[in-house]
Amino acid sequence: MIRLSRTHEWWRRVLNVLALTLTGVCALLVMAPVFIILIYLVTNGIRSVNLEFLTSLPKPPGEPGGGLANAIVGSFYMVGLALVLSLPIGVGAGVYLAEFGQSRYAHLIRFVADVLNGMPSIVIGVSVWALLVVPMRTFSALAGGVALAFIMIPMITRTTEEMVRAVPNALREASLGLGATYARTMWSVVLPAARGGIVTGVMLALARVFGEAAPLLFTALGNRFWNLYLDRPMASLPTQIYEYAKSPYEDWHRQAWAAALLLIVVVLILNIVARVSTRERFRALR
Amino acid sequence: MFPNSRLLLAVIAVSVVIIAGCAPKKSPNTTGATGAKVQITGAGSTFVYPLMSRWSAEYEKNSGVQVNYQSIGSGGGIQQFKEGTIDFGATDVAVSLEEEKTFTRPFVQIPVVAGTVAVVYNLPGITTNLKLTPSVLADIFLGKIKKWNDVRIAQLNPDVKLPDMDIVVVHRSDGSGTTYIFTDYLSTVSSEWEQKIGRGKSVSWPTGVGGKGNEGVTGQVKQLPGAIGYVELSYARHNNLPFAAIQNASGNFVLPSEETGMEATAAAVERLKQDIRSSAVNMPGENSYPITGFVYVLLDTQPKDKTKAAEIKKFFEWVLKEGQKMASELDYVPLASEVVEMSLQKLAEVQ
Repeated sequence: MIRLSRTHEWWRRVLNVLALTLTGVCALLVMAPVFIILIYLVTNGIRSVNLEFLTSLPKPPGEPGGGLANAIVGSFYMVGLALVLSLPIGVGAGVYLAEFGQSRYAHLIRFVADVLNGMPSIVIGVSVWALLVVPMRTFSALAGGVALAFIMIPMITRTTEEMVRAVPNALREASLGLGATYARTMWSVVLPAARGGIVTGVMLALARVFGEAAPLLFTALGNRFWNLYLDRPMASLPTQIYEYAKSPYEDWHRQAWAAALLLIVVVLILNIVARVSTRERFRALR
Repeated sequence: MFPNSRLLLAVIAVSVVIIAGCAPKKSPNTTGATGAKVQITGAGSTFVYPLMSRWSAEYEKNSGVQVNYQSIGSGGGIQQFKEGTIDFGATDVAVSLEEEKTFTRPFVQIPVVAGTVAVVYNLPGITTNLKLTPSVLADIFLGKIKKWNDVRIAQLNPDVKLPDMDIVVVHRSDGSGTTYIFTDYLSTVSSEWEQKIGRGKSVSWPTGVGGKGNEGVTGQVKQLPGAIGYVELSYARHNNLPFAAIQNASGNFVLPSEETGMEATAAAVERLKQDIRSSAVNMPGENSYPITGFVYVLLDTQPKDKTKAAEIKKFFEWVLKEGQKMASELDYVPLASEVVEMSLQKLAEVQ
């Protein structure tokens, strides 16, 4: 038996403490950016988030006040449109991959979905510009929604696949054993069991696209006025922040901070909802 | 059992209702029974964006017509107009003859307002307006004058105690109409600049650091003692940066302002009538500021949608008449009356 010398043992303790402290500090540093961003946004933006900001239209420079009501509505409108477009496609594709995912075709889909997932959002914006804006001869809310849907589809597809696959086979067998058809089994047993997880994936996808400016710059363009038509340009929070932050006007900077704060609050809420529904999923599977 | 999925379903349901409610109706172009307002979409020059927003807001009050202008950059404005995705484009650099040949539809370019580019600097303790001659300015940006207390700067500014400090040139890193006007000016006054660097929306700078956008250059100059850069006048004023008086073609040292810029536009009118692409830099005239440029709008002369075209025409008529008053409030240069007259004639070409 080899006995460790005292100094050796002492050294190991020091190393232990050092490594623990270092990794602990690194862990703290991971959180730091989030808090820095939050503190910055709250101190700069909170005073400007008021009723006028939330309910009125932008004012031109030189006239103080005004708000971003049209951009707030526009953001929700286009994200909602993207959700309507991407949810059926994403869930459908995810179910296919989970249930019949061994074919060559399925591998190809998975690969393409991952490529699309990693595609820079500005590239998606420019592509949708060529696909929709040029033929329609106008920038539009529709093009904006489609661009955002392009980003959401692979995210929803991949989460749905994972979640459907995680549903225990016993559930499927029980359902089939009771005489349910395969379609009935999917619809009434497997999908409900996977629902919590799918909701999480959808919420995270929503949170991601809600803050995207790049795909909207070349599709929805932006609008100073109210618009609810699909075939007209539409304002959104991220593009408006970009616009205001680079202007020379103090009042617009102020509103850009407020818009950024609002944006981050919505994204945080979506993330929290995603978290809560994850917990729901584990409870359901137990 | 799954409250969150119910929430999700509710969100989807609401979205479907909203979208279904809007989708079938094609948006009308004229005010009709639906009560929807005419909306005109324009895009382009970042420089003119604040003023366009102002014009748009004022014009809507009286006419009910909504002019939605988005700043995507002059190059973008030309490109999108060419593709026909917007109703009008706006640019700080006139469409060149070569570029014009690639257009598939007939169009006009009309000056609607002008602007001045200020030469700003950051010298600790110095808030006065330095005097600079064209050759000194060119040599600073060529990197040939390296120190603030260089004898050539000192001779021009005997009353200012210039520090023994390195000059840091700050220029735009992105393509920009401001850069075009500035390099157009330097090329006009310095043959060395014209041969070595030339004019363009982005050029290969012999010296200095880059900043993105007017706001980027402003920020860099503000933070770097010894820095010199060029920005639109409103950025210099709103950020309290001192700017230089530049010697003009008549030999006077002139500060950028609404009046000095306007005098430059008046001096440019004869050249403009010959060729709309003529620049307004280094114009003669006692008090004309030499680094001045126009903002042009691009309009279809044979538009398909006649009702919309009539509204666009009415808007720009208003811009050229009433709208000019608002220009100086926002640090832009209103067009001299001769230029307004010429622009109105150009506007009449729209059918």
